[in-house]
Amino acid sequence: MSDKEILADSSRISRRQLFQWAGAGLLVNVAGTLLYDPIGRISMPINEAFEALLLSSQPTPEFPITAIEPERLIVNSFRGIPSIDLANFQLTISGEVDRPLALKMADIQQLPFTSMVIRQVCVEGWAAIVQWGGIRLRDLLTLAQPRSGAKYVYFKSADGYYESWDLASVVHPQTLLAYQMNGKDLPAENGAPLRLAAPIKLGYKQSKWVTEVVVTSQLLPKRGYWEDLGYEWFGGL
Amino acid sequence: MGATTGKLTGGQPTIARLFHWVNIISLFGTIASGLQIYNANPVFGGREGIHIPWLITLGGWLAGGRNWHFALMWVYGLNLLGYGIYVFWTKRWRDRFVSDKDIKALQASSNPKRRQYAWHRIVYTSIIPILILAIATGLSMYQPVQFYWLASLFGDWQSLRTIHFMTVPLVLLYTLIHSTLALGIGDGKIATAFLKLKSSDL
Repeated sequence: MSDKEILADSSRISRRQLFQWAGAGLLVNVAGTLLYDPIGRISMPINEAFEALLLSSQPTPEFPITAIEPERLIVNSFRGIPSIDLANFQLTISGEVDRPLALKMADIQQLPFTSMVIRQVCVEGWAAIVQWGGIRLRDLLTLAQPRSGAKYVYFKSADGYYESWDLASVVHPQTLLAYQMNGKDLPAENGAPLRLAAPIKLGYKQSKWVTEVVVTSQLLPKRGYWEDLGYEWFGGL
Repeated sequence: MGATTGKLTGGQPTIARLFHWVNIISLFGTIASGLQIYNANPVFGGREGIHIPWLITLGGWLAGGRNWHFALMWVYGLNLLGYGIYVFWTKRWRDRFVSDKDIKALQASSNPKRRQYAWHRIVYTSIIPILILAIATGLSMYQPVQFYWLASLFGDWQSLRTIHFMTVPLVLLYTLIHSTLALGIGDGKIATAFLKLKSSDL
């Protein structure tokens, strides 16, 4: 073979190889989409156990108030802002509790106020440092008195969003039902009048417009809006 | 050939080849699924930023990408840990990575093969800190609260994300240089030594 022929020959091989590589890439890509669910069934329980193991009942370090990043906080919701009649708004706590409660905002604002400056981390990859003010979930549960079998807490929202949390995360000292954000009243788009706020969970766990808190002894088939679509349930940070 | 020792002339022990292959597959899997996660909110420019073409992503959508990423991170991380233990246990770290001998060779040697070998040792040693950086920044984003001390080393969230992302072009650049050099040294003996799965193929 002449040099020219060798060159032509090698370029033909490389073009064939290029097609082979593209074909293999496409195959891996399609397999990756088809198999993500079974892969998650194996890895998610491991990751959730790992995150639960790491979870500390101690407060996590906070940021100075000057560190807040209001411009970085992106508003996410799954079907827009629900209209809430504040005059008749009630937060109910029910389920596996000895004293079910129905509280108006005025009652809630009588409870001890907690403020924290934490990082809000979204599953999408962005994060923002936010100041949240409100009541601790643990104070609310102390009033409602969960029964001994209580293990999970469901949060239902005015827009139909629903979430469930492990009890240890709910009674963490920085898990709040917030009605204040960055020093002002909580805006409607951020979940007014009441929303979950905690440094220890991803953003999709932190329901906005919370109206019902239900304590349960087990996880129900429906575990959360995004979880039922494929997200991890624990969502610990 | 010395097949009884598990080592062949110019070959690598089976376990080293295994570490190498598991690393390649799990690393490229975490890169592709990481790029899928990236697309949910691009590091550069946010939602209006530049998105990665779907063909080189893995998982189909955000939850799928996260499933793959957080499954393969264990394979990748534990493989690297296993390799670290192996390197210390067998004392490979003494003569398998770049040393002052290579620097001297580059300064003094006129043997082109020795010089190329020295360059390659510098190159492949450099992947170790890159691989560790990918884990450190990844763990900082996966558990930023429980590993806040680690996360705080990388500055604010945007710089943490950027550094984690930068490990991708670094790995790709490394792969290009490393494979070119490995195929070029001793007519590809180094590449063959690590890539062939069966000793008998060598």
